[in-house]
Amino acid sequence: MNKIKSVIIIILFLGLSSCDDDFLDVTPSNSGDASTSIQTLADAKVMLTGIMSNMTSSNYYGRNFILYGDAKGGDLTTFSMGRGLDGLYSFNHSPTTGSYSGFWNSIYNSILQANNLIVNIEKLQAAGSEANFDDVKGQALTARALMYFDLVRIYGKPYSYDKESYGVPNILEPLDALEQPLRATVAANYNQIIADLIAAQPLLSKSKTNGYLNYYANLALQSRVYLNMERYPEALAAAQEIIDSGVYSLYSNSAWVNSWAGQFGSESIFELAILPSEADLGNSSLSVYLRRSGHGSASAIGQFIASDYYLNRLGEDPNDVRWGILDYDEVSATHMGASYKYSGDTTLSGDGKSTPTAVNIKVIRLSEIYLIAAEAAFHTDKDLAATYLNAIRKRAPDLAPATAGTISIDMILDEKSKELFTEGQRYFDMLRLNKDIVFNDDLGGVPISTRPKTIDRSFYKTILPISQEEINANPEIGNQQNPEY
Amino acid sequence: MKVKLTGFLTLLMIFLAQLSFAQGKIVTGTVTDEKQMPLPGVNVIIQGAAKGAVTDFDGKYSLEVAEGQTLHFTSMGFEDQLVKVGASNIIDVSLRESAMALDEVFVVAYGTATKDTYTGSASVVKSSDIKDVPTASFQDALAGKAAGVNVTKGSGQVGSSTSIQIRGIGSMNASTQPLYVIDGVPVSSGNSGQLSDQILVTNNIMNTLNPSDIESITILKDAAASALYGSRAANGVVMITTKRGKTGEPRITIKSSTGFSPSWATDNYEAASTQENVNYLYRVFHDYNTSSGKTDAVANADAIRRLNVKFNKHGYYFETSGTGVGENLMIKGMTDGLVNREGQYYDWEDAYFRTAINQSQDIAVSGGNEKTNYYSSFSYTKDEGRVKINENERISGRVNLEQKIGKFIEFTAKVNVAQTELSGFNDSRNLSTNYYEQTRNLLWGLYHPTDYKTGEPWKARFGSLAQNNVYYDNEWENSSRTLRVSAIEGLKVNILPELNVQTLFSYDNIETKDHLYYSRLHYNGQGLGTVDEMSTNTRSIVSSTTLNYAKDFGVHHLDFLAGYEVEKNQTDYIRASGKDLPSSNLHTVATAGEKDATAYYWGNNMMSILSRLEYSFDKKYYLSGSFRRDGSSKLGPDSRWGNFWSVGASWNISKEAFLTDVEAISNLSLRASYGVNGTLPPSNFGWRSLTGYGAQYMETAGGTLSNVADENLSWETNYSTDIALEFGLLKNRIYGTIEYFTRDSKDLLQSVPISRVTGFSSTLKNIGSIRNKGLELTLGGDIIRTNDVTWSASVNASFVDSKVLELSEGADIIWVNDGDATAQYIYREGESTLAFYGYEYAGVDPANGLSRYYVNDKDNPQAGDFLLNGRGATYDFNDANYTIIGDGIPDVFGGINTQVGYKGFSLGLDFIYKLGGKLYDGAEKDVSDDGYYWERIRSQYAYDDMWTEENPNGSLPKVSGNDLTDAIQKSGRHIYDASFLRLKNIRLNYDLPTKLVNPIGFENVRLYVIGTNLLTFSKYKNADPEVNQYAARGWETPFMKNYTFSIELSL
Repeated sequence: MNKIKSVIIIILFLGLSSCDDDFLDVTPSNSGDASTSIQTLADAKVMLTGIMSNMTSSNYYGRNFILYGDAKGGDLTTFSMGRGLDGLYSFNHSPTTGSYSGFWNSIYNSILQANNLIVNIEKLQAAGSEANFDDVKGQALTARALMYFDLVRIYGKPYSYDKESYGVPNILEPLDALEQPLRATVAANYNQIIADLIAAQPLLSKSKTNGYLNYYANLALQSRVYLNMERYPEALAAAQEIIDSGVYSLYSNSAWVNSWAGQFGSESIFELAILPSEADLGNSSLSVYLRRSGHGSASAIGQFIASDYYLNRLGEDPNDVRWGILDYDEVSATHMGASYKYSGDTTLSGDGKSTPTAVNIKVIRLSEIYLIAAEAAFHTDKDLAATYLNAIRKRAPDLAPATAGTISIDMILDEKSKELFTEGQRYFDMLRLNKDIVFNDDLGGVPISTRPKTIDRSFYKTILPISQEEINANPEIGNQQNPEY
Repeated sequence: MKVKLTGFLTLLMIFLAQLSFAQGKIVTGTVTDEKQMPLPGVNVIIQGAAKGAVTDFDGKYSLEVAEGQTLHFTSMGFEDQLVKVGASNIIDVSLRESAMALDEVFVVAYGTATKDTYTGSASVVKSSDIKDVPTASFQDALAGKAAGVNVTKGSGQVGSSTSIQIRGIGSMNASTQPLYVIDGVPVSSGNSGQLSDQILVTNNIMNTLNPSDIESITILKDAAASALYGSRAANGVVMITTKRGKTGEPRITIKSSTGFSPSWATDNYEAASTQENVNYLYRVFHDYNTSSGKTDAVANADAIRRLNVKFNKHGYYFETSGTGVGENLMIKGMTDGLVNREGQYYDWEDAYFRTAINQSQDIAVSGGNEKTNYYSSFSYTKDEGRVKINENERISGRVNLEQKIGKFIEFTAKVNVAQTELSGFNDSRNLSTNYYEQTRNLLWGLYHPTDYKTGEPWKARFGSLAQNNVYYDNEWENSSRTLRVSAIEGLKVNILPELNVQTLFSYDNIETKDHLYYSRLHYNGQGLGTVDEMSTNTRSIVSSTTLNYAKDFGVHHLDFLAGYEVEKNQTDYIRASGKDLPSSNLHTVATAGEKDATAYYWGNNMMSILSRLEYSFDKKYYLSGSFRRDGSSKLGPDSRWGNFWSVGASWNISKEAFLTDVEAISNLSLRASYGVNGTLPPSNFGWRSLTGYGAQYMETAGGTLSNVADENLSWETNYSTDIALEFGLLKNRIYGTIEYFTRDSKDLLQSVPISRVTGFSSTLKNIGSIRNKGLELTLGGDIIRTNDVTWSASVNASFVDSKVLELSEGADIIWVNDGDATAQYIYREGESTLAFYGYEYAGVDPANGLSRYYVNDKDNPQAGDFLLNGRGATYDFNDANYTIIGDGIPDVFGGINTQVGYKGFSLGLDFIYKLGGKLYDGAEKDVSDDGYYWERIRSQYAYDDMWTEENPNGSLPKVSGNDLTDAIQKSGRHIYDASFLRLKNIRLNYDLPTKLVNPIGFENVRLYVIGTNLLTFSKYKNADPEVNQYAARGWETPFMKNYTFSIELSL
């Protein structure tokens, strides 16, 4: 063995370690560069899909936002604490614990996605792109309006109560990491919501689109927002345009129960798709939270059940078709407090997918639009109001139809409770209309020290606190904390 | 610092005969070590004569010598021995390893060093200190062995990961763990596979290394020692060197161990009896009623009714004789079922836990000649956890080969193949899966795994939200199988005697296959049955080439090293999931009705150049300097290259003329160093703002912005200073080190909290700094050193102070620990890096049993509902402010190791200790809930110590029927003194007499028994005081007591 051989061996070894110039440029395989991810219409559609996906998060429409609107509204109660999300029911909120900041965080993340898409589309259009971004942009604007509408109702006082109080920061473009935005007023938020909806309206498709937003979803949202702003004629006009379009139709009494076992039914104006491989929350899904304890899985612990107040309301007519989606709960074999709207039916059939927990979220249904129309019309035309109400009220066949003489706001509100039970609406209606909310704590004997049995919107915890984490990172917003927190 | 506790010394007695020749004669003999291994290269010198010999590869020498002369045997790492030549012509000598050999060679960064020439700070742990301890990973055996090294474990599950923090906590967001280097190659450490995402079980990658294969471990602590590893060395470096063969006949070592763990190391939140817990729950319900103004009679009836609702279904009903709150309930059995359970309470402890068995079999064959040496081993180890579904297994084989090729070339190949297989369970605060939490907080003796009416398995979730895992254990399975193949090929060319080139090429492939199955009957099976298969394959290729030059110029010595290194790491991940499994026998994705998959990859690359210059003068003065330039793909193009360097010096004072005559001082040296290291971001792509495509919707790809990044992100920079005095007295019978260090970590990678309105909660920035400083003391000695009896002892102590110096705009950062979030901490300028943050608890008011909190109003210290000790206090935690309620960093920690030998027996004791510092007991809020959240059981101490009217001195608050759980979420009530002393290992060896074993063909037969965690002394009594790196105790599985019996045969 000589030195030449050694040199050869060394060179061979060194050869193993040679590398190219871009050796230090390693890129991820499942993500792309953020600044260049929207270049074409196809890119924009991918990002729009991302927004829809984001909205199915457990912190938003996937679960918590729906429960927020129900657990706090008096139609639900819990049989035992400690099962999860019971803080919503007990109003155990403070900036440090039980702030439920997931709403703030998750919805602002969704708003960022919408802002990013809108701003990039505008940039591409400004740069002369000829692609037709109308529908994508219209959906992004409508989605942003929906997000702000939800956010301002969680963190701000009802528009009808104090619209000059703090709403939420009104952000319309992606922010730099270190910006510290402050809150706008509730009125400013509503103005932006209306502006977005109006801007989006002409851009949107009028055909029924499954799982996405269209022209009618935009109108439906307008009718909801105007109702909150007590701008009844506009609310009524928007609702009527939907009803009169004929694109959607109410479920007949015989079809109503079964509608929960199907997707994108004739009433669905905006429905978020939950697929087993996507947003299915499995053991922590709405299906599991609302069904009877132990039903189908030992993980089902029956977080929330119908309150006796709700059951009594629905019990005005024992033949109300809406009993069909309820089943008995752990209280007793006759206490029909378990809701199966998110399980397909009371035997957990699901809505046509492989798991009974992957059930679509019906964000806006035509029934609600009828009830909005009824309430909006009530102030000017009680006959018309009764007509719209009766279209839904007939689902309790033994109840006398409403007339111009018998109809009242409470009657409409009761109908809305019966129809939209566990669809995330009740609480907001009660706050909007300044009703007392009574909680059925005594059913399970749950000890609640964090709120009284009966509250109304003057109770400071009816809106959530800005979380301490937000205040730590954005100290000025601490001065805008909701009162009494 | 070498802390070598030698075993029992067996010296061959040399019998001298008087008969002699006047003239010289030829004496021959063999020099061996204490284990009768031949020692080559031993100098044999005739005292007073300039004549001598050197032993050959078989340890043999031959020398012409006159009777009456004295032979002086010397060898590196061994104590000198003098033997007077007598009548015999054969003088065999057994040399004893020196307790602290200054000239012993140990492995350091890119080379070797000896203690007296080294300018850096390094601790050396020898294989004998770790090989017998029955742990899956060598890391656990390091506890208490080296000053400045804090070894903690997050869970007592077998196979779980270990944390090592060297010289404090150097980072907030990036790693605080050292770089691991095996046989010169940086390797991955920590957790392997994806199971931790699913069931929070960590799978320690270091378990793939058989501790018996380790020759030595060097822990590099200061910059002079570690700066050659540059951007990854800020938290120190753990260098592992595997065994090599020694010249001589093939040597076979067989070791077989079996052990068992019948119990936990300490009591842990032992539950109160069923009777007491029923009384407690009754008390809660009773109070719920009376607190809202109801009468005792109503309260009694309602409480009984509610107990009946909860427990009738389990076969019990309740009666009381009176109606008061303190009734002792009569627990009756229902008579309408198959069994009457009156008086029978189920023993869940017995159902869930077992006496765990561990066993290991090792065989190693090694040997060599002057051209070739080899070491090979094969081992099998199986460890059980006390929880019946926790098990870890390893099969490993290794071949280390060194071959000289011609005159100039040395070739080495080290190949290791290991497979580990782990199964475990989620032992965070998970009510369904955590067996330990369930037995202490959730499983009533009134619950049974069967239905009393039907005898069928109980499948529903219990009222306490625990699951019946006696049933469900058969309905799921998990495993994490890691196959690791690593090959390190090295080549050294000795171009000139003083110049060589060394190149190392390493390929390390770690493939972890995770399997998780839930049957359709399992509560996680979604009624369909699910199975996940995940494959994570990490390939690391490292190539390094160094040029080494070393030469003496008279009294000057120069050493120079230059090299470069390239590293490529890539991980491929594949997951396949199946749902809707048709057969309970087939747990495969292939059979599933619905399949889902993902696959992607990630990785990082690094390029480096490095150099080191060492100079010494007259073996008294030593200087060193090192420089490394690293480029990493983890950083952006403008900031990815960084320079790291160190300087060091040492002065061997004992070699100075003024000390050479002082007999008592055998060694005295002073050294100091300063240098700069770094820590890279944990994320591969942290500097890039990314759009992710995981937001699939309606089977269409969806994109979302996934972060907001800083393009100029850089590594953390660590400036460390070290100064040390080392001494050896009385021929090094007493030795020690006093060492002071500071370590300033700057430009910390921080997840800076940002306004959530941006869409994100944080962004990664280089902001802020931490200072760790401390004192490390080591003292050891041979207290008794006679032929029959030896007794040696050493103690080490580390005083570390770890403070946050600077934060982004001075803003506090509140954080919770990984995974379990048992405790809350705050980073605040000037405060400890492990400062607990919560309400300051002021104890129970003896007058009414209510919890009190200090308000801690910054502006008005007396604000509050009442004054307590002159400070504002309140009963309502909502009115109190969070404040720092304790420091998790101990004042001092370390180990005490001692060994006593007598004839063939040897007894070793290894203690670890921690003094000062607090721990946060995050599980206590569960076991001593003072309100009612849901039907849980309490600990015995919580039951005994609660305030009642009969027990007005109770230290725990009055039980209330109203939910007060929030009051004890983050409260100083759970802060305890973390001091403890633990007998980590006790080991008794017995070497069978050689005259007994040699005739039957054995070189040595050793029997030993080791006890682990047998004794613990602590102030904290609720549970095990040996807590994780966050000084928090949650519901992680505790440590076991273990007894292991072994036999080791050498032939």
